[in-house]
Amino acid sequence: MNASRRAFLTRGSLGVALAGAAAVVPGLSAVLKLPAPSFAAPELPATAEPLVAHVRDLASGEVSLMVGTDHVVLRDANLAARLYAAALAPQSKER
Amino acid sequence: MSSHREAPAIAKDPVADSTDLYAFVSPDARNTVTLIANYIPLEGPDGGPNFFEFGDDVLYAIYIDNDGDARPDVTYRFRFKTQINNPNTFLYNTGPISAIGSSSWNRPQFYSVTRVANGGETTLGDHLACPPCNVGPRSTPSYSVLAQSAIHNLAGSHGKVFAGQRQEGFYVDLGSIFDLGALRPFQNLHLLPLPAMAGVNGTKHLNVHSIALQVPIADLTRDGSSTFSGATDRKAVIGVWTAAYRRKAIIRGEDDDVESGPWIQVSRLGNPLFNEVIVPMSKKDQWNELPPSSDSMFLQYVQHPELAKLLPVLYPGVFPNLAAAAGSRDDLTAILLTGIPSGIISGFQNFTGTTLADMLRLNMAIAPSSSPSILGLVGGDAAGFPNGRRVADDVVTIELRAIAGVTYPLVNPGFTPDGAAGVIYDVEDPSTNTPPVSYLSSFPYLNHPESGFDVPS
Repeated sequence: MNASRRAFLTRGSLGVALAGAAAVVPGLSAVLKLPAPSFAAPELPATAEPLVAHVRDLASGEVSLMVGTDHVVLRDANLAARLYAAALAPQSKER
Repeated sequence: MSSHREAPAIAKDPVADSTDLYAFVSPDARNTVTLIANYIPLEGPDGGPNFFEFGDDVLYAIYIDNDGDARPDVTYRFRFKTQINNPNTFLYNTGPISAIGSSSWNRPQFYSVTRVANGGETTLGDHLACPPCNVGPRSTPSYSVLAQSAIHNLAGSHGKVFAGQRQEGFYVDLGSIFDLGALRPFQNLHLLPLPAMAGVNGTKHLNVHSIALQVPIADLTRDGSSTFSGATDRKAVIGVWTAAYRRKAIIRGEDDDVESGPWIQVSRLGNPLFNEVIVPMSKKDQWNELPPSSDSMFLQYVQHPELAKLLPVLYPGVFPNLAAAAGSRDDLTAILLTGIPSGIISGFQNFTGTTLADMLRLNMAIAPSSSPSILGLVGGDAAGFPNGRRVADDVVTIELRAIAGVTYPLVNPGFTPDGAAGVIYDVEDPSTNTPPVSYLSSFPYLNHPESGFDVPS
């Protein structure tokens, strides 16, 4: 994954601009302390298409993922919270 | 309009806005059906330097239902790709475009056609050239030659295709009809009267972009047959609609826009004026996002159309029988949502079953008329709308008269249409049987586009 695509993942595709969300979103801080779920890493294609992640509802952990013409909706509070945290981290801010 | 800018959301996205749909047995190739889906409404012919083109980011489709469930049995898909030959000029063309492959055309567009049927997808054509827009006599001389060279045969004897700019073939008095339902020839009778005057074709001198197919009848039927036992043969009836799609996610501002996710339907069209006139404003965007198989949710608007209630109000004393009619308009339900069953009109049916769906229904067993009436079925010509739709059919007058009550006696013999219901029109008196637009006598039937030089805004 190249640099611009990584930037796309961390800033463009999340579609969030909620400074201090962890402080104001009920339960986010607690969720952030959860251990990351363990799952077997699938074999990834060498040249991956862009992936768009849309945290539709942080409270329920509803995350919409799009790759190619595929679209899946997950309910994963930990993933949703980690995406928020990554988006809100200082190094993620667009300069 | 038929379906030009008919809903709030799609009115802001003209490249994906379906405007008209036609389906008819080809009069000069009777073993084929011509299907035309128009997009991009109200093109000013002089709209340069970025002249009109299909959307590279839009998936266009024409659907055929041949078993009455309002779901696709045969699908034709179209994807476009634009090329820039000279990145260092602002010009659409850098000299006369004398041939479709001319290097002077700086922004040619190409497309692919695929056919989906029986669970398989077949590419029928790839990198097929569109013609340029009709710029003017210096840029696009011999336009008919350019257009003719943009008619392509499809692989496997699946017919032929054309995709590109055409002259708008649909006619309507736009300026009048949306001014509180005024019909200029009868506006002296309007609630807010003005002197009667001749109708005006509001789409005159405008262009549109057409996707036109001419395919063997056998490619459309449920069993591959191309002959029928007669007009009552249910196999002869197909339902047709078109739709346009955009990707679910678009991220702007990267090197190129990033698109991802499934294709989401943003526009749909079956019968002319369905979403425009039948569906209320608050539901028009939703209608565009749904398949025809969901149309039972719009049944109430067909059974009790708003326009039928408005006509007696807008024209006081002109439609007393219509004003008194309170029953369900099952005639309109048949015309628009199920097709007309056998036994209603002698020798005719285009019934697809009880599934309620807005589809253009064509009985392919009915041969093209040797003396077509632009009033179609209500003019005694069973080869015209609402049996499919031909390019010249006066669908505004037909639907106005139907809603005003002329077809109500088909299902309610006790109803007597008002005298006005059988004579109203909006552009030209259809009794002359002369449409205000000229057409071609062969594929793609819609005429060459107006040129920007000759028809400045």
